[in-house]
Amino acid sequence: MIDENISSTSPPPSISHLMSHHSTTSQLTNTSMLSDSRLVNIDEEAKLVYGVVFSLRNFVRKLSGSQDGFISYRTSQYKLHYYETPTGLKFIINTDPNVESLRPALRQIYVNFYVEYVVKNPLSPVEHPGGDGVNNEYFRAAVDKFIKSLAVFDS
Amino acid sequence: MIFSVYIINKAGGLIYQKDFNEGLAKLTSNEYLVLAGTFHSVHAITSKISPVRNVTSTGLEVLEADTFKLCCYQTLTGTKFLIIADPNHPNIDNVLHRAYDIYSDYVMKNPFYAPEMPIRSELFDLNLAKLIKSVGG
Repeated sequence: MIDENISSTSPPPSISHLMSHHSTTSQLTNTSMLSDSRLVNIDEEAKLVYGVVFSLRNFVRKLSGSQDGFISYRTSQYKLHYYETPTGLKFIINTDPNVESLRPALRQIYVNFYVEYVVKNPLSPVEHPGGDGVNNEYFRAAVDKFIKSLAVFDS
Repeated sequence: MIFSVYIINKAGGLIYQKDFNEGLAKLTSNEYLVLAGTFHSVHAITSKISPVRNVTSTGLEVLEADTFKLCCYQTLTGTKFLIIADPNHPNIDNVLHRAYDIYSDYVMKNPFYAPEMPIRSELFDLNLAKLIKSVGG
């Protein structure tokens, strides 16, 4: 089971978050069958997720000395996969705890969709100061389709 | 291969830290305290940001990195046992439980031990080292 998150405004559960270095969650998408009663609202959650991955990334850097060491963590209920681009963009996806590493998939989202539809779009803002995020229909649709096509999506 | 063992009390203070094998960066004792504090907070937040609603999630249980994996076992009283091992080390959960047994026997059953304070016990050191060695250190 995978939850993916692609709505920047709508409330439902969170999954793949895309973040710039300034903790703006550019895109939150959700394609899930999870209930709506969230513990914290989506904006709050985005900040918490950012704080967690930021801390863990520094934690791993400190211990291992490698720049790009943090891969994923899991709890009893979910697993968070992490990919950071050389420019500091962070891609995150939450899945159920038994899914193997989705780092290649996150990288694919970056290379095939983010670069193609967002970076190469001259109208797209470079930073997202207001937190309005990557508001791009093509990107959204492509990521949505891609996540749904993954073998782990409804296994 | 097990790199190191940490014990964090329920307030987030590091009460025990020992390296068993080379492989991780050497840090100062102050930095270990900061890491333990950070881990404690992150652990609390990770249970809050679970995408699965209506079911309470535990905090972080396994952290995977490219050169190591960190396994955390939180006891019912809130003490956290952390083992950092190489990514392919099998059955760390079992080692964590056995480390907790040793902690119960040699730390908690010691009448001179002040709860939540750093652990300075020769017997605990000895038995923990024996355990780590028995699982392929």
